[in-house]
Order: sequence, then structure tokens, then C-alpha cells
Amino acid sequence: MAKLKKKPLTLNFKKFKDKISKIKPNFETLKNKISKPKPNFKKYIKNISNLKINALRILKQVIKEFRLLWTDKFNLLLAIVIPPLIIVMLGLTMTDAPSETQSIPCMLISYDSNTFINPNNFTESKLDNYTMPYVEAVNKSSMLELVRFYNATEEIYAMEAARNALISGEIKVILSLPVDFTELLEWGLPGLIDCVLDASNIQYIQQSLNSVYDSIKIFVNDNNLTPQFQLQGFEEFTIPEGYSNNFNSSIVMALSFMVFGIALVLSILVIVQEKPIARLLLTPVKRSEILLSKYITYTLVLVLQVSLLVISGLSMGLYIAGTLTDLFIALFMIGFSGLTMGVFISSQSKTKTQANQLFLAVFLVAVLLSGIFIPIENMPLYLQVIAYILPLSHGDPLLRGIIQKGQSILGLHFIWLLVISIVLVIISFVIFKRRKYEV
Amino acid sequence: MVDVNNLNVKFGEKHVVHDVSFTVDKGEIIGLFGISGAGKTTIVRVLTCQIEKKHWTGNVMVTGLSPEKKSNHSKILSNIGYVPQLELLNLYFELDPMVNVEVFTSTYGMNKKRAKETAEELFKILDIPRDTWKKRVEKMSGGEKKRLSMAIGLIHNPDVLFLDEPTTGVDASKRYDILSYLKKLNQKLNTTMFIITHDLESALICDKVAILKDGRLLEFDTSQNLISSLPSEGLIARFTIEDLNEKLIAFIKKFPSIRRIIRVGNEAIEVLMENFEENLPKLIEYMVDNNITITSMSKDIATFRRYFQIRIQKEEEEESSLKEVKVIRK
Ligand SMILES: Nc1ncnc2c1ncn2[C@@H]1O[C@H](COP(=O)(O)OP(=O)(O)OP(=O)(O)O)[C@@H](O)[C@H]1O
Ligand SMILES: [Mg+2]
Repeated sequence: MAKLKKKPLTLNFKKFKDKISKIKPNFETLKNKISKPKPNFKKYIKNISNLKINALRILKQVIKEFRLLWTDKFNLLLAIVIPPLIIVMLGLTMTDAPSETQSIPCMLISYDSNTFINPNNFTESKLDNYTMPYVEAVNKSSMLELVRFYNATEEIYAMEAARNALISGEIKVILSLPVDFTELLEWGLPGLIDCVLDASNIQYIQQSLNSVYDSIKIFVNDNNLTPQFQLQGFEEFTIPEGYSNNFNSSIVMALSFMVFGIALVLSILVIVQEKPIARLLLTPVKRSEILLSKYITYTLVLVLQVSLLVISGLSMGLYIAGTLTDLFIALFMIGFSGLTMGVFISSQSKTKTQANQLFLAVFLVAVLLSGIFIPIENMPLYLQVIAYILPLSHGDPLLRGIIQKGQSILGLHFIWLLVISIVLVIISFVIFKRRKYEV
Repeated sequence: MVDVNNLNVKFGEKHVVHDVSFTVDKGEIIGLFGISGAGKTTIVRVLTCQIEKKHWTGNVMVTGLSPEKKSNHSKILSNIGYVPQLELLNLYFELDPMVNVEVFTSTYGMNKKRAKETAEELFKILDIPRDTWKKRVEKMSGGEKKRLSMAIGLIHNPDVLFLDEPTTGVDASKRYDILSYLKKLNQKLNTTMFIITHDLESALICDKVAILKDGRLLEFDTSQNLISSLPSEGLIARFTIEDLNEKLIAFIKKFPSIRRIIRVGNEAIEVLMENFEENLPKLIEYMVDNNITITSMSKDIATFRRYFQIRIQKEEEEESSLKEVKVIRK
């Protein structure tokens, strides 16, 4: 027991000694710290001068990027000239055709022929006295153009003929009055009209229904019928008079694709294509400086591109419910997400071909999953996840919100675009730092 | 200028450079010779800060700075120049030579006017035709591109210039042109030059040559010194022999003072031996006595090409005998 007690004691003592001897160097480092400020200050000045040189180097690299861009005239054309040109062309073709005056061609078939037996005198009579008034109402409506009226009791192939006309595109709507059309109205019950729409073009569906509704309105008014409901519609987010509906709706769709796609196309080769980076890295220039200068250059190009787009859009009569600044920032952000995605793909592609293939794949997927063609909610879950990660599914609603509804840019869509861009920028820097260059 | 002590490079398990040491003084031209895979490029990569420190050990100093420290890299890189083997990796083909110069000089913080003046001077020394100065590099000839590449390597007046295979893929007459340009520039600017090459003619302009094999530095000296280290100070007898075959060579090899026979053609051999002047007549006698028909004979000093061949051969023989010993021991 005594032995056991002794051992720990000596150990403790040694530890204590160590502690004492440790104090001295501590004291010295303290001294060092006190005397250090001067070199630190020098270092600080040196850092500043280094920073200056770096900024200069980056500037020169940016100039180089512009020179390289300038040598590739086709790309420049694609980025700067074509997008506004497309807008102008859309504007020229679409402003001339205001949708309101265009009437929808239709055919009307009447099956209205129920026999009515009078319970008092048992006389039979054919009830179709509301058929012609409705035909008149259709004729009266400026939104509908009656191509032909069939009385199905006399012409049994009426429906077939009308369907053929629908297929050929001669008409957009088939209106059909059921057998008990007049009877129901006579009894004071709600009337029923069957309506066959050409749904191959989504644009026409609403327009067709609106015009049919118009004819019903006229019919009801003229015949002093009392409909069960009077539906009064107030259209929200419509475009003021003098602006083209068609132009506006197509622009919104085109803008997000165009800005995203062109930014992607421009930046997709920016790293794989530049072989002399290998040699450039044997000069004092740093990898981060090279990549940063690329981002700066293409961001400037993007700003120019977006400005031209906005200007051409406005001059062609684009109606913006929101603010111009918001539109500008939104377009920029959509383009920037394309830019960062392009640089990201470029930084990790080994060859030009690989980058080009990836571009096509990414662009197609981004467009298909943008929610414009297929509503995202209808997709299987895994596609929904991909769709929401990709920028276009946020870019399109963001633009719609600003242009059509006057929303502010701030919101989830914008934040997501920002987040995905920043993440891609960071990843591209990391990949580029590790990218293998050999001379 | 460049100091290398016990440099070892390992990529994982692969030991690529073994204990290489050498020193290079200001203004020297060094030729790095060695067959493919010897480790020439790897050594230069270490010197030019292209290999991470975790892959190599040893004491390396380039222009007084060690590539070991990341913070030294940009200083080292501004003190050295590099002329890669492929112009595609060095020049912006879409831009013209002057703009190329600008792109590279700007990274050193050189001012534009001075860069232009230096470039013009170098272009003149290198005979880059004036009418190509403002045209796309694309349109220049192969040789012009190579020389432009050299001009860009030298544009900031570096202390050390590294050239990777400057004469490979260039036809014979142009090869001498390039070598003489390099010598001219070396004399004018007093630039230390490192030439990585397969082309043994390049030794002509080298002050010192380094011979590498399998990552080991076999020799590092002037080519004259190396050649005179051969038996009889590198004197060589060259014979053309009728119906030469391996058997015949083996037979001639039996002559006592012969150190080495190298077959240099279908019917030609070169012979190295001790006490050349004394033994040559005896060798001729020996061959004639044994009915070997000598159609011609000449005496010469070994070229560097020959030396290199002999040195590599010797190394291989030693290696294989070492292996044999190992096998026997087992
Ligand atoms: N990053 C690397 N990882 C693994 N092995 C490497 C690496 N770099 C080079 N090596 C190996 O090191 C050896 C020497 O290569 P190095 O490129 O230095 O040869 P070299 O003498 O320049 O040959 P060449 O004349 O063909 O250019 C080769 O066997 C090569 O495979
Ligand atoms: Mg090599």
C-alpha cells in the first residue's frame, strides 16, 4: 500500500514541474505578441498592394475574356442581337391581331324535338319553339360565327359532318341543343346546351367557352328567361387596352427560356474550350482569378443582354404590371442561374463534346420540367423534386408574377434562384481549383 | 539558380523520381535527357510548382525559393518561364501574337508599353515575320508558333526558362535553327535554360547534360566530360563489315581490350576499347586473320548520342546482372 501511494505522488510532482516549465515559453510568446504589431502592419500594407495587383490582373483577364468573346462573332450575335430581334418579331406579328374581334367559327345542331302531350285535351305537339331564338342569339353574338345550322331531325348525319369540320379546323366549336331543350325551358327548368370544343389548342378553350356564354347571355335576355344564376365575371390581371394580349402572354414564356438558354449556351464552353489556361497557370495568375474574371465578363454580357431585351420588349408594347427594376432583376437572376450552370458544366467536362452533350441534356430537362408544358403537380414525385431544383420552374412563375400580376420579386422563387446560383458558383470554384491542367 | 537535393517523387505507390540531386548556375543551359517515362517532366513539374508537396520530398530551391511553400509559388512563377511542348496549350490561336503577349505579360503586372517593346525585340531575334504580328496565331506556320511560344516564355525576362521538347516534331534543318536561337537568347539575356528533350542533338548547345533513367539521375556533367570518361577518352573505331551478323559481333567482342561494340547500321559497328592507339592495329589484324572482311574503317570521337546509348546500355546490363544475382540468391 505504501508503495502504491508513493508512485502517484512522484508523478504528480513531475506534472507540476512540466507545468512550471511551460509557463516560460508562454511568457515568451506573450512578449512576441507584444512586439509583433509592426510586422503585422507591414503585412497588412503588403496585402493591400497585393490586392491591387490582383485586381489589375483580374481586369486584364476580363479584357482577355472579352477579346476571346469578340473573336467568336457567332456567339456574340446569339447573345446580344438575336434575343431582342425575336422580341421585335413577336411584337410585329402579334400586336396586329387583337383577340377580341376574332369570332369563333362554330356549327349548331339541334335535336330539340320532344313531343308534348297536353294533359287536358291529349293533343300532341312538337316542342321546338326555343330552337330558332337560340340560333338567332348565336347569330347576334359577335364572338361566334355560325358557319352552319343543322336540324338533326331532318339531317341525320349532322353530327358527323360537324365533327369533320372540327377535324379540318373549319370550326372550333360544335353547339348541340338536346332533345328536351325547349321542354325544360317551358317547364321553367335550367336549360342545357352541349358544347364540343376543339381542345387541341389550349388557347382556344377559354375563348370558345366565353363566346358560347356570350350567346347564352343574348338568348336569355332576348327571351326574357330567368336563369337560375346570374354569373357576373370580373377579370383580374387583364391587360389594359392598347396592349396586346397575345404578345404579352407569349413574351412571358419566351423570355425565361431565352435568357436561361442563351446564358447556358454562352458559358457552356468557357472553361473546356480554353486550352492555354494550362500555360496561364504557370504565371502568377491564380485559378480563382481566372474563374472570377470569367464570371465578371459573362455577367456583364448578361446585363447588356437583359437590358436590350427589356428595352425591345417595352418598345414593342409589353405591359408590365410590376416594376421595371423587378423585371430586370428577375431576368438577370434567371440568366445568372443559366450562366452558373453553364460554368459548372464546363468546369467539370473533360472535352468540348461532353460539355455540348450535357448542355443539350440539361436544357431539355430544364425546359420540359419548367412547368409550362406539364404542370409540376402532375409529375411523379422524383420528377417534381428535380423540377423544383432546376431554375426554370422558378423563373417562369417569377416572371409571370411580375409581368402579369404585379408581384414583387421577393419571394421563394427568387430566393431559390439565388441559392442555386450561389451553390453552383461555389461548386464551380471548387471543381476548377481541382481541375487537372498539364502543359 | 536551381538547387535540387535528394528529390524523391512518389505518386501513391509509384516511385517516379529517386534521390535526384543537382545544381544549376545562372546562365547555364541544361539538357534533361532520358527515354520516355524517365521522369524528366516530373522533375520539371516539381521545379515549376505543379506537383503538390505531398507527392515529393527533398530540398528544392528555384531562384532561391522553395516550391514547398504555397506562398512562394507566385514569386517562383514570376521568376521562371515555360515553353510547353504543344503550342495549343500555350497560345490563344484566335488572338494575334501581340495580344497573346499582352495576355501573358499582364499576369506579371508588366506595363503594356514595355511588354510591347520587349516583344518586338524578341520577335526580331527570333525572326518572327512582321506581317504575322497582327494576324491570328492560327495562321502562323508551325515553326513561327514555336518561336512565338519561346518569345512568350521569355517575355518577362525570367531567370530560368523551361522548355519541354522544343525540337520534337520539327524537321531537321529547323531543329538546328531553334537550337541556335536558344543559344543566342541564352547569350544575350543570360537566361538559365532547362531543356527537356529526346533529341540528343540538343546536347550541342547544353553546358551540362543530365541523363535520367527510371527516375534516377545517372549523370550530370558537361557532355565533353562524359564522353571523355569513356575508355580511351571516347575514341571510337568505326568498321563496315561484309555480312555482319550477331555471331560475328560476338566473335569480335572476344578481342581482349574491347570494352563495347555498338551496332550502328546493317553492316556497321563502332568499337570502344582501352589504349585505343595501341590496340587498334592489333584488332584489325585479329579480324583480318579470322577472315572478316572490313570494307571501310574510320576513327572518331564519340558523339553525345553514342555516349547516351552506351550509358543506357551499361545501366541496363548492370540492372539485369543485378536481377540475375537476385535470382541466384533465391
Ligand atoms: N500524376 C501522376 N500519377 C502517377 N504516375 C505519374 C504521374 N505523372 C507521371 N507519372 C509517371 O511517372 C513516370 C515518369 O513520367 P514523366 O512524365 O516524368 O516522364 P518523361 O521522362 O517526361 O517521359 P516523356 O519523355 O515520355 O515525356 C511515368 O512512368 C509516368 O507514368
Ligand atoms: Mg515528358
